[in-house]
Amino acid sequence: MNTLLEVKNLKVRYGNIEALHGISFDVKQGEIVTLIGANGAGKSTTLLSICRLPPPEAPRVIEGDILFKGKSILNMPPHKIVSELNMALVPEGRRIFGNLTVEENLKLATYARTDGGEPIERDFERVFQLFPRLAERRKQRSESLSGGEQQMLAVGRALMSKCSFIMLDEPSMGLAPLLMYDMFRTLKVLNQEGMTILLIEQNANLALRFAHRGYVLDTGEIVASGSSEQLLADPEVKKAYLGG
Amino acid sequence: MEFFQHFLNALQFGSFYALIALGYTLVYGVLRLINFAHGDIFMVGAYIAYFVAVLLLGGEGMSGLGLTPAMTLAITVPVTMILTSLVGVTLERTMYRPLRRKGADRLYVVITALMAGLMLENGNLALLGASRKSFPELMHKVVWTFGGVSVTNLKVVVIVAAIVVFVLLEFIVSKTKIGMAMRGISYDKFAIPLMGIPLDTIIVFTFILGSSMAGLAGILYAMSYPILEPYMGALIGWKAFIAAVVGGIGDIRGAIVGGFLLGFIEIGVVAVFPSTLRDLFAFSVLLGILWLKPTGLFGVAQTTKI
Repeated sequence: MNTLLEVKNLKVRYGNIEALHGISFDVKQGEIVTLIGANGAGKSTTLLSICRLPPPEAPRVIEGDILFKGKSILNMPPHKIVSELNMALVPEGRRIFGNLTVEENLKLATYARTDGGEPIERDFERVFQLFPRLAERRKQRSESLSGGEQQMLAVGRALMSKCSFIMLDEPSMGLAPLLMYDMFRTLKVLNQEGMTILLIEQNANLALRFAHRGYVLDTGEIVASGSSEQLLADPEVKKAYLGG
Repeated sequence: MEFFQHFLNALQFGSFYALIALGYTLVYGVLRLINFAHGDIFMVGAYIAYFVAVLLLGGEGMSGLGLTPAMTLAITVPVTMILTSLVGVTLERTMYRPLRRKGADRLYVVITALMAGLMLENGNLALLGASRKSFPELMHKVVWTFGGVSVTNLKVVVIVAAIVVFVLLEFIVSKTKIGMAMRGISYDKFAIPLMGIPLDTIIVFTFILGSSMAGLAGILYAMSYPILEPYMGALIGWKAFIAAVVGGIGDIRGAIVGGFLLGFIEIGVVAVFPSTLRDLFAFSVLLGILWLKPTGLFGVAQTTKI
């Protein structure tokens, strides 16, 4: 398996505060990798640094390197990470465009695609097949959707951008358990079709049962890593993140 | 009959205000920036139209190309819109963007916009002097009279041009992807790059739209009131800005409605009272509207859903 994403000794500072103290991890093609850790461990910072969002306006210093297929992407503008590398981020809080309809949200995600009408039509059908609720509500303003439906829209939007690597920031947050399992089943289907997934979760149990491998992040450092089985069996991890 | 006369005048004035107000509202929608230089971009538009027209037509001590007024008008409109949008984009590239890049607070960008406007006014004064320019006649004036109502062809052109622009703009914003991106930014700027959309491209496009409309307003205004001076954009710019706020800044329909509303109030006041009371009354009414609905007519209070 080739390594798709490689993060090397990543340090991120906001002003005087260092949020990440040099973390390294990698994601191989076709894998599901999860970063677990408590609130404030630096999980979201890691994803946002990979996408370099918010845009350069924020006073932030990034050290170390982020490689995609062996090439540094540290100086790539945020929108090109999506349009050229086919990576997608489903951000924390979903960040859908509430003033646009469901359909417009999905259409907007095809902005940079150059492969024309037919593949885009196919992807529309695919998204509506994965999330029939979105099809029912396609003409509705998306801020009127429930939390679960908004999460579906956020994932659907990522799919419309033709991603082959999807990063998810706490997709389970605020979802009823049933919807949460649905979402993870759908993600599993996508993975079986070849989608590489990097997942960030506070719900470590859920994440490790879903992923192939995991890293444990604690206050800006990686403190444990391994296959999901190893981590689930690790007494330290059990004690700190899996509720004993 | 007098009523219809006033009605037409109000539509004409409203068209100017609405065209300029749209520039404020578009930029605000995308950047949350009140581009205080926008009134002066309108002024620059009028001057660009003047120079293009004189160059094509001749006169004012220039030999010109000797085109007919109709040809001159046909060329002046697009050229002015293009050149004026370049002025808007230049302001964004040289003044607003560097500040944004450095993470400057919005207040500083607004102050920069104020200064940019003053620079345009005084730059004009320094370059061209204080003497006024008189805009050449590009359209032979025709007056139609229906009953007691007289309509000039120019008035019709102004109103029709404004309506065409509104329809076009509405189409761009509601149907095209770049328009969707503009609406998307106004809701959540953060998520735009995640869609593979270059933020700066959308911002530049917004400035192009807003400034070209100000340029068009500049030509139409100069044709209607053919005296140009460096400060002509200041008051009309303020008024259009207030119209945009009363309509609900950030909302396109709001800018159009606000612009026409101001036109109607002004003409209405003048129809009844001495014209010296015009601005006092007009702004009192607008203040009253804001007092009743602080977000403006079409504005909604910003709420965020978690």
